[in-house]
Amino acid sequence: MILDLHTHSVKSDDGRAKVANYGQWIRKKEIPIDGFVLTEHRQFDAESDYSDLARKHGLIILKGSEVETEYGHVLVFGVTPALQQAFDFSDIRLPLARVLEACEEHGAVAAPCHPGRTRVGMCAHVDELGVPPGVRMVETLNGGSRGSEDQAAQALAEQQGYKGFGGSDSHIVSHVGRCATRFPGPIASESELVEALRALDFEALSWKAPS
Amino acid sequence: MTRGFDDVEFGEDLPELRPDTSVANVTLFTKAAGMFTGRFTDHEAARKQGLPGAIVPGIMSQAIFAAMIHRWAPEAELQTIDTVFRAPVIVDQPHRVTGVVTDMDDETRSVEIDLTLQNEAGETRVLGTATVRLP
Amino acid sequence: MMDLEELKGDWLNLDFDEREFEVKPDEAVDFARAAGETAPRFLDPSDPDFQAPATFTARFHGRRLLPEEFPKIGLPLDAGKAVMPKRPLRAGAKLIGKSHLHEIYEKTGRSGRMIFLVSRMELFEGQELVSIVDSRMVIREKPGS
Repeated sequence: MILDLHTHSVKSDDGRAKVANYGQWIRKKEIPIDGFVLTEHRQFDAESDYSDLARKHGLIILKGSEVETEYGHVLVFGVTPALQQAFDFSDIRLPLARVLEACEEHGAVAAPCHPGRTRVGMCAHVDELGVPPGVRMVETLNGGSRGSEDQAAQALAEQQGYKGFGGSDSHIVSHVGRCATRFPGPIASESELVEALRALDFEALSWKAPS
Repeated sequence: MTRGFDDVEFGEDLPELRPDTSVANVTLFTKAAGMFTGRFTDHEAARKQGLPGAIVPGIMSQAIFAAMIHRWAPEAELQTIDTVFRAPVIVDQPHRVTGVVTDMDDETRSVEIDLTLQNEAGETRVLGTATVRLP
Repeated sequence: MMDLEELKGDWLNLDFDEREFEVKPDEAVDFARAAGETAPRFLDPSDPDFQAPATFTARFHGRRLLPEEFPKIGLPLDAGKAVMPKRPLRAGAKLIGKSHLHEIYEKTGRSGRMIFLVSRMELFEGQELVSIVDSRMVIREKPGS
């Protein structure tokens, strides 16, 4: 199963894509993914129910979040009401250690995204802050990153022994599925996604034009 | 040629535009836009300001997006155009502008278009969305 | 560090600038031509439907980017622009642009907090709203500000 693990909709301040259009686009353009995870900035969208849309388009539509830490941006998968109480998703100065610990405690997974980006990625902070304990995976293929930024992410993953995953980081409809992650088995829910990520058996994929 | 709402399909690509980013053309634009600074029209002056070269003004990229839409649908009425300037667009370098229809509203006969301006390396320098009403 | 809620309470939705502008036909034509417009309604002042391109209002800016007393938290950089035209801009139109801060929000950056400000200019011809221009600015907050 192939999932785009990093997408934004109009629920994010800088997102311009409607979820319905993502579904329509994936089918119309035959994007080779089976679904996507909405990772809205600094929030968990508990209200929206995309199950009808998912059925209509035959896609898996899951929800996560993208939070902000001293090591840059971090995707959170498997958000539960208890995890939402554990830290303030809207805080832009979250300690990464706290996010990792809370995710571990509440059956979720936290994973730094676009680590090679100059301003919001983990690589830029490692020299100053040291290698953070507890990270097991990072986004090595990001649809919005330049080739050199993905290369920096891959180098970090190699050095530290992190597993790499992929996500498009789409903010507009036509960018969904530019990068994604292949899992060996089916995934139909957030908890199954967490299980699959914790197994560390996945592969990052990209359909971006080389740059 | 009129392109009406009924002629458009979800997912349709607009014809790609290769914008004229020459110093002469950017100078024409900046004069019309009242932007009198060397960073747009003089590579040397721009480098002195720490830029990689003279840069195309963000509002020129936005106007180029609008022109691409009008070339595709001459009677299109722009309702909104929202552009994000992600990285400098360097003057005198070749770029390509693309657009694709990503939403259609039968009731208002309007369509939403994703817009991107990329450099030769395929890096997106400016992106945006527009909503246009069609006859 | 600047308290964002305080900033919003003090500065959002208050008009801080008002300025007159004119849609000059020669400027509108050059603006359109340089952008790559080909339709006579943008290029030929004798066309019965002659008008400035809808994004022409993005060239208008007030006397100041931010309110005069706005805290000096760093240098504002251009992060994006949105235009919402309400009707065609005819040659010679005299417009009044009124500016206010429409949105304030924050994000993290490598060297600290980035504050995003959306300055909205509403352009009127007489009493009629003809265009809205949102200018998105990002300020990388100076340490200790």
